Amino acid sequence: MALSLRDTQQRFVDAILHEQIDPAGIIADGRFAAARHLQVYRNNVFESLTAALRAVYPAIERLVGDGFFRYASHEYAVRHPPTGGNLHDFGNCFAGFLKEFPPALPHEYLTDVASLEWAWHEAFHAADEAPLDPASLADVPPAQYPVLRFHLHPSARLIVSRFPVAAIWEANIASHADTPEINLDNGADRLLVIRRGLSVEVERLSAGEFALIEALARNEVFGVACEAALTRDPEFNLSRCLQEHVRRETLCGFSL
Amino acid sequence: MSGPAPKQSRFGAHSIPAAAGIGLRAEHYRDLLARRPEVGFLEVHSENYFGDGGAPLHYLEQARAHYPLSLHGVGLSLGSSDPLNRSHVTKLKRLIDRFEPALVSDHLCWCSVGGVFLNDLLPLPYTEEALAHFVAHVAQAQDLLGRQLLIENPSSYLTYRHSTIPEPEFLDEVVRRSGCALLLDVNNVYVSSRNHGWDATAYIDALPARAIKEIHLAGYTVNTSPEGEMLIDSHSARVHEPVWKLYRYTVARLARRPTLIEWDTDLPALEVLVEEARLADVIMEEHDAVGDWNEARGARQGGCDGAFAA
Repeated sequence: MALSLRDTQQRFVDAILHEQIDPAGIIADGRFAAARHLQVYRNNVFESLTAALRAVYPAIERLVGDGFFRYASHEYAVRHPPTGGNLHDFGNCFAGFLKEFPPALPHEYLTDVASLEWAWHEAFHAADEAPLDPASLADVPPAQYPVLRFHLHPSARLIVSRFPVAAIWEANIASHADTPEINLDNGADRLLVIRRGLSVEVERLSAGEFALIEALARNEVFGVACEAALTRDPEFNLSRCLQEHVRRETLCGFSL
Repeated sequence: MSGPAPKQSRFGAHSIPAAAGIGLRAEHYRDLLARRPEVGFLEVHSENYFGDGGAPLHYLEQARAHYPLSLHGVGLSLGSSDPLNRSHVTKLKRLIDRFEPALVSDHLCWCSVGGVFLNDLLPLPYTEEALAHFVAHVAQAQDLLGRQLLIENPSSYLTYRHSTIPEPEFLDEVVRRSGCALLLDVNNVYVSSRNHGWDATAYIDALPARAIKEIHLAGYTVNTSPEGEMLIDSHSARVHEPVWKLYRYTVARLARRPTLIEWDTDLPALEVLVEEARLADVIMEEHDAVGDWNEARGARQGGCDGAFAA
């Protein structure tokens, strides 16, 4: 009885990802030995998955170099292969993978750079949404401000790092060849990654501003978010910050 | 079941002319919109527009305003022994509803098993079991999408020991049983023929001509080793001369069809794609001229066999 379709496909995937099965079991010798025929698919699969990761993680690739990146991509694809035909989702665990990946261990900042690049990728494909109309706030009685829940733009992502991760990222996506010296101890970053119009921006936030936006991202009411910001920075200028994020269209609406 | 004609369409052009079109890739968005080259239609990879918003959908919206569209999928995984991926179908349906493509296609292949997806067009064993299975998935997808799919012949680099049905015969059965149409990739026929020692023209002859609603053309690369050459369908070069020759043969047999120039890696300037499309148009025009001449001769001789046969 012929091998079932299910068994054929399972053996094929094992042969590609885990190099477990002698391909001669299912694959015919043709113009070449079965193994060489199968090798074309192995190459295509890893080439295409590496290309997909390269498209999302250009700064990581530049930081670690081509050989390291290919090796890391191969290991990542074996351990976290895509789970659907929408390749936009592939690479979502790459930051966590790098954190545990032995060759990357001496370079802790790589994980944070990868998190930033994934946030950028997510922001790029996130839904469009109309900005908050400031006039709509005029109808809200001031007494209700503390219980407002502001909605962030669907693309908004927050990144915290103890490294100057935005500077590292900027230097490594630039097209020019020389990379500036960056002192890893030179400051920590609190970042807002957000799509403004069609382009994704990476913006540094102050401590108070970050606390405010981060609370809004957790869907806290405005009163709680203000408290978080003022706890972090007693000098924080709330109304200016709010106006600024309405103007820059970080906020897309509110609910009561 | 064929192309939709919604009552309140946002777009002017729906049907794809039997002329040459080009694959649209992100690198060419701005150039295309600025210059609006004369090509018959655009084709995009459906999955590249599965995001919720942002630049890809924005540019596709603008491009669609000026050109008829074909949606070409690489991820339906119709040959998988897993159940059809409903969320993938739903995303494709959302895209179809928004952009009103004239053609929607995917491949004779599988991409996933046990929920693991390999992002490649993997070969099916050509058995009765696989045929029944593939037909059922095509029929199910067509039902869910409410329209006919075009199924493309893949480039292949291996054959299975337990395959019993020749590939064109398998495709013919898929068409007969599911009511789908075919997308004939002439480059894939050439690549597979070289890799397996098949007869490329016999392959094309064996396909049901009327079911073929689109043709693909692309460039391949040659992978050389001491044992010999393997052709890889890389979509990274101009169409090679033997593939143009096979295209001439195909047009002579089928007459005009929407013909796409596909290019995915080492992307050249938009102009190069437009030039390649122009070459395909010229071959179709030459075919028309021969047809006209035959017709005229047929009329003069009072005969009725004006059809040009290969």
